[in-house]
Formats: sequence, C-alpha cells, structure tokens
Amino acid sequence: MKMEEAMKSAPVLQVSNLTVAAGEREILSAISFEIHPREILSVIGESGSGKTVLARAIASWLSDPLRITGGEIRFRGQDLVKNPGLARKLAGREIAYVGGNPAGALDPTMTVGAQLVEKLRAVRPDISATEAKKKAIQLLNAVRIPSAHKRFEEYPFQYSGGMMQRAMIVDALISDPALLIADNITQPLDVTVAAQILKLMRDLNAQFSTAVLFICSSLPVACDASDRVMVLNAGKVAEMQPPRALIADPKSAYTAKLIQELPKLWDESTRAPGEERDAPVPVLSIRDVAKAYKIRRRGEAGLSVVQAVRNVSFDVFQGDNFGVVGESGCGKSSLMRLLTGLERPDHGQIIFDGEDVGTASAATLRGMRKKFQLVLQDPYGSLPPQWPIGKILEEPLKIHGIGSAAERRDRARAVMNEVGLPDSYYNHLTGGLSAGQRQRLNVARAMILEPKLLIMDETLSALDQTEQGKLLDLFERLQALHGFTYIFISHDLTMVRRVCSRIAVMYLGEVVEVAPNERLFFDPGHPYSRALLSAAPTLETRRYRPEDCLLEGEPPSPIDLPPGCAFASRCPHAFDRCRAENPVLRDRGGRALAACFLNDETPAVSEKTYA
Amino acid sequence: MSVTTLDPAARVAAAQTVSSRIWREAFASIEFRIGLIVFILLVLAAALYPELSGLDPTKLSVREKLIPPLFLGEGWTWKHPLGTDQLGRDMLSRALTGLRYSLLIGVATTVLMLIVGALIGLFAGYYGGRVDMVLMRLTDAQLAIPMIILAITILGVSRPTIPSIILVLGLAGWPVYARVMRSTVMAEAKKEYVRGAMVLGATNLRIMFLLILPLLLPPMAFVAVLDIARMMIFESVLGFIGLGVQPPTPTFGNIISDGRKYIMNAWWIATMPGVFLVITLTSINLMGAALERARNKIYGGA
Repeated sequence: MKMEEAMKSAPVLQVSNLTVAAGEREILSAISFEIHPREILSVIGESGSGKTVLARAIASWLSDPLRITGGEIRFRGQDLVKNPGLARKLAGREIAYVGGNPAGALDPTMTVGAQLVEKLRAVRPDISATEAKKKAIQLLNAVRIPSAHKRFEEYPFQYSGGMMQRAMIVDALISDPALLIADNITQPLDVTVAAQILKLMRDLNAQFSTAVLFICSSLPVACDASDRVMVLNAGKVAEMQPPRALIADPKSAYTAKLIQELPKLWDESTRAPGEERDAPVPVLSIRDVAKAYKIRRRGEAGLSVVQAVRNVSFDVFQGDNFGVVGESGCGKSSLMRLLTGLERPDHGQIIFDGEDVGTASAATLRGMRKKFQLVLQDPYGSLPPQWPIGKILEEPLKIHGIGSAAERRDRARAVMNEVGLPDSYYNHLTGGLSAGQRQRLNVARAMILEPKLLIMDETLSALDQTEQGKLLDLFERLQALHGFTYIFISHDLTMVRRVCSRIAVMYLGEVVEVAPNERLFFDPGHPYSRALLSAAPTLETRRYRPEDCLLEGEPPSPIDLPPGCAFASRCPHAFDRCRAENPVLRDRGGRALAACFLNDETPAVSEKTYA
Repeated sequence: MSVTTLDPAARVAAAQTVSSRIWREAFASIEFRIGLIVFILLVLAAALYPELSGLDPTKLSVREKLIPPLFLGEGWTWKHPLGTDQLGRDMLSRALTGLRYSLLIGVATTVLMLIVGALIGLFAGYYGGRVDMVLMRLTDAQLAIPMIILAITILGVSRPTIPSIILVLGLAGWPVYARVMRSTVMAEAKKEYVRGAMVLGATNLRIMFLLILPLLLPPMAFVAVLDIARMMIFESVLGFIGLGVQPPTPTFGNIISDGRKYIMNAWWIATMPGVFLVITLTSINLMGAALERARNKIYGGA
C-alpha cells in the first residue's frame, strides 16, 4: 500500500543521532528517523519534550542558546548540519514550515494574495507575477478557501482562524517543497475546523507527494493524521510505530501511560460528576439573555448588528460544575462578559445571589464581584506585566479593603500553598513561570476572595494534557474544600466530559442544547452536538461517524442571520421548517433540553423548566 | 521554550523586592556610577561654587576682560580657570550659575510636560469616545500654535520670569506626550489583564493609576530625559530673542548670545555653556540608560 510504496523510494529526510543542547543541557539526544516522500510522520510528546526544537533544527531555525552538538540531518543525502549555507538555501524552498500562530505569521498590512506571491517570487525569481498569482489562487482553491480569486485580494483580518491556517499551508506549499514541517497547526483551531484541516492535509499529501513532519501534542490527532507516530519523551525517542500498532501494543511505558491517561468520551467507566440536588435554589440563573453589538463594516455606510448572544437561558446550582461548549465565535466569550458584568445585556436577566448582574449599579456590582470570579484563558496576557507574584495576589484584597498588610501577605502565601506554588515565589516576577504555573496563579488570584462562583473561561486550553489533569485535580480539591461552583467555558469536549455535571452547547450565540453529562454524550438532542462529538479527537470508536455528521464549511457570519434555525445551513437533516422558523429549547425529559424540530416527535412538555 | 535555572546567587536575589533588585543591578554597572558621580559633582559645584569662591558671576571687572581659560592663549590665571567674558566676569562662576537656572528650567519644564501630557493621554486613551475627542481636539489646538508665537504672546505681555518661562515651554511641549501616552494606553487597556482587574472589582482610577501608568511611565520618562536638553536649548532660544531670563542673571541662553559677538577672539565665552550642557546631559543619560537596562534585565519577558 502507501506505506510500502513509500519505503521503496529514497528517504527525503534522514536524521541520525541528532543532538541539540542549550548550553550544557541536552534538549534532544540521539534522535534518529527518516521520512519518505508521501509519508506523514507525527511527532508527539508533552510540552518541553523538544518537539518544537526538533522542528526548528530541521528547518535550520535554531536560535541561541540552542545548538546542534552532534548527528546528521540528511536532506536527499546532503548533510545540513555540516553545510549551513545549503540549509539556509533549502529552508523556505524545499523545507517548508507552518507554525501554530497563523494570525501572527501573516502581515496584517498586506493582502493575503500579495504575501503569497511575494513568498513564491522570493524563492523562485524566474516566475512572473501573473503566473505566481495563478498558482496562488489554484492552491487557495486546493485548500478549499471559498471563492479563492476574491479572497486573494483580502487582508488577513478578513479571514477566520481556520482560513488563515489554510493560507499558511498554501504559503508553505507554494514553493513545491519536498518536506513540510507542520508545527502544532491544529492547536489553536476549533475541533470541527481542525478536523477539516487534518483531512485537507492528508489530501494535499496525496496530491503533491510532499513528505510531512506533523508535530502535535495530542495523541488522537497524531494517530488520526499520520502513517507513523514518533513519541518523544524528554528529548529522546520513546518509540516509533504506525498508529494502529502504537495504540494496540505500545512498546514503551511512557506511551502506555499517555494512552492510559487519555480521557475517554464514551467509556462507561468515565464517571461523570454527580449532580448536586440538595440545594434547589440556583446560584446563577439566566433568563432569555441577549446581546448585540453594532459594528461598522468596511465599505458600508450604516452600522451592522452582530447578534453575539441570543435566547440564552439556564440555571447553575450550588456545587455544580456547569459546562458551556461551542466553537470559537459561538458567543461563549460574549456570554462570559455578560455573566461577569463586564457588559450589560440588551435584555433578559442574570440573577446571581438574588441580584441582577445586568442592571446592578456599578458600586453594587463591585461588591458582588467578591462572590464571583473569573479565570481567564490566556496565561500570558491575563497577568499584569512587571508585577511580582505576591503583589498580584494581594491586589484583590486591597481592592476590596480586606485585612491589614500583614494579614494580606499571610493570606497570599496561604493561597500560593493551596494551588501548589512554592513559597519562595512571593517576590518573583511572572516571567519565569510556565503556562501551568501561571494558570495556578490565576486561580489563586480568583479564589483569594473566597468567591461562591468561579467562571473558567478556557482556562485549561493553553495547557498540555498532563498539566490539564493536574489542574483539574486541583479544582476538584478546592471545590471539596471551599464548596465552589464552577462554570467551565470550553471547546474541549473531553475536559467537559470529565468534570462537568451539566453542559450547555452553544452555536452562533444560542444555546442549542442543555443536558446532563451522560445524556449529552450518549443521546445528544441536536445535530450540532453530534457534529461536535464526531469531530472530537479520541482514540475510541466513535459513536457518531464523521462521515455522517462532520460539518462542511464554517459557521455563517453572525451579521445578517438567516431567519429560522441558525444551524440549518450546515445541518445534514435540515428541512423546510428549519429555514423558516427558529426552534426554541424544549424539554426532552430527564432535565435535558434541545432546540431542534427533529425532537418534536418526543412529547413536548409545555411547562418550561431549565433545571 | 522558557527554561529557567536558578543558581544560588539568583535565588538570593529572588528573595528581594523587584525595585531593590533593579537599583542594585543598575548600581552594579560602571556607567551608572560614573554618571552618578559626575552628576553629583556638577550639582554640588552649581549649588556651592559661586558662593564659596566669592566670585560674583555678575560683578564686572573691565581690567580683567577676555582672559582665556587655563593653559590657553596669553595671560591666563588660576583665579579664572575658565577665563572671563567681555566684561571681565568669571566664566566658571557664570557657567555654574547658568547651569543652575538652565537645569531648573529644563527639569521643571520636562516634568510639567510629562505630567500634563501623560494625564491627558491617560484619560483620553482609557475612556475613549467623547472624553478622547474633547481632549485630543484640545491637543490639536495646542499643537497648531507655534511655540515662538505662544512665547512672544505670553512673555511679551507678562514679564519673562523663570516660572512664566517654565509655564510657556511646558505648555508648548505636552501635546507630544499626550499623543504617545494615548496610543499606548489604548493598546494596553484592551489587554486581558486589564479585564482581569475589572473582574476583581478594581475601579477605573485604580486601573489607570496603579496598573497602566506605572507600566508606561518609565519608557516615557526615559524619552523625557532627552527632552531636558531640548528645553535647555529652547530656553537659550528665548534668551536669544530677548524673551528669556533677563540679564544680568546668567543662563546658558544669554551667555551664548553674549559670546556670539566675540566668537572670533574669545571663543570660550560661547563654548563653556555648551561644554557644561554636554557633561550634564551625558551624566543623566548614562544613569538613565543603565537604569533602563537593569529594568529590562530584571523584567525580562514579563
């Protein structure tokens, strides 16, 4: 088959005994592998295992203090380590690199097309501008960017995240490289879009006979994408096998542990957290909340209205772990801003502890903030720069005028202990902290006020599997100790499956389904929920096959929403009624609600409960 | 990849507060020490020499006119190390007294510009909308009036005293700071940590003055140090057109404008203020640069 065919040809890249060190410390030691044309080799490992260093070593992009201290990188037989001049010539031409931050890699002041043409003509000056343009458009078509010739003239900010990543793939492929290094390209993307990109990469690989070195941190994604998987652990190759063999029979203990640690979506043994039913009074109840933004679009005179959040209603009970899932742009973050009182809803109520967050005065709201706190997504941007850790932790106490200076210091040290930050960090700056430690600090800052409700806005999405697991354990421990109620806003289904008791699924600003954990994963009531489940990265046999459920295209723009169900344009089951009328949340029994006409056969309960 | 390995020395350093580490780091550098020593010597000399030496910078002595500095030309004496001017006034004493006034005007003007500009920029950038519009139109209006015309109007009507000169120069200079401050505050105010502070319950004033301002002020203050020199020169310009500090009080401005007529046979009159200006500013810049480097080193990527 493909593999055998690949084995016959000479390898494109042959790495033997590659060793990279930072000063005295070895980051990579004695790495050996080879890639043949048309082959996709995945490299996985947790953060800090040296994946990105490996990618950069091959792309001749190591910066101080990293140095190659031994071994060979043979590209078509020529050693790049001994011949840095050749390596520089090959980088960008024969060896292409796509990174995980497409928004940062594209120049915001140039059209995407101009950048692609410039790139091509920089490496191949003999190609004329018109030919280059033709080639760029052809490739944009190949990565399925809709109406590519029009998109060619657009600026990066007019592209969505998924489209920018496709444009970056075009940017890498445009010089017909023999080897493509894809470094974490799906990490920042939504699951359904990431699944599309992976599928696209396999197609392109077959079409252009490019060898791909696919670097990622998620085992299911790696297994899904590649012909062979190389597992890196602390700079050493733990093992290398085809995915199926790797899963069935891991040779190293490390891989076995990775596979075992993977959260499972449909495993019966995954115990969903029980729902707390002793306190019937909800901590937070949201009724019919809506928020629209007015924006000015380029080239249009009037203002356009973006419906960021519509018809959102749910209750969160004391001690609950409530999950809100959905893809980017579905209104999760807008909802978070409404819940935390950073913005006021256009209508509807957000009742927290008997008071409406949406209409409370600024002073009341400030007092209420003691009782609900937010932990933000970005571990780097969410901490004030140039502040020592102790000061960051004492700030909330100072704001609310709690305690004396000595008491505040003791309190800060106590919380640092609770979240597992060493005492000696008190006067440290945040610069030396890892992403995981930063999120611990964020959690510590939020809980120092002893709030009742903690809202986690994608708090764990920037962390790797192992670190996520540790923080989830921490959350559990803190909940048992302090009786917190959590709202997890996330796009990660496996995380939600593990920790949440009830889950709301959002699509284009609307809650399309609210259901208890088990019910959502085993009997979803909305086709969008099924699509999300089908795209979730997992090694299990899927209950919902991507072929049946995976969505084509991207969500429509929240400006000028079509009448009827917002999901109708992507829904495989849509019928006429869906395009004319917007379904509302209806009870499906067992405290599960879904907004879909397909459920109408089940007896509808007229009384509206959100419990 | 961020890999931090702490050796024992770094561990000890980590136990101290951040600002003390910055000062320690700055003080450890040779440039900072040289700058500090030179600056202290100059300030002491300016403060004490004219009185201690008993040489009045305004006392005329026509017999001793146009004596060259030490070891240069004919007739130099130890009594006047930097020579005398066309009216026989001691140049060292005059230059140091001039430094006193010029430094006072330069520093006070720059501080005034920085405070006014930073505050207006901070409010405009943070609140945006209507506040921004009003404050920025005010800034534009100020920018539209050339400094010389402003100076002639104000100083021509009132007497050109030192406070009024500071006021005029300060008024003319703040819009630049307001502009820079506004744009950086606008970028900063959208960041996650500001939102984080809001959720913690911090008031707008708290966020502006305790969170954003301390972050943006040091780089601006560093630029402002360079402006001290510009303001000293502007003061000279005002002195040159007769709207500066009035003679006989010596400032760098009127020393230079006096010396201009004798530049061919007594070059030292016009040169001395320049020499002092160079030494003063070099010492300030040495300290500023060392401090900035120390800040960057301690804060690193944070």
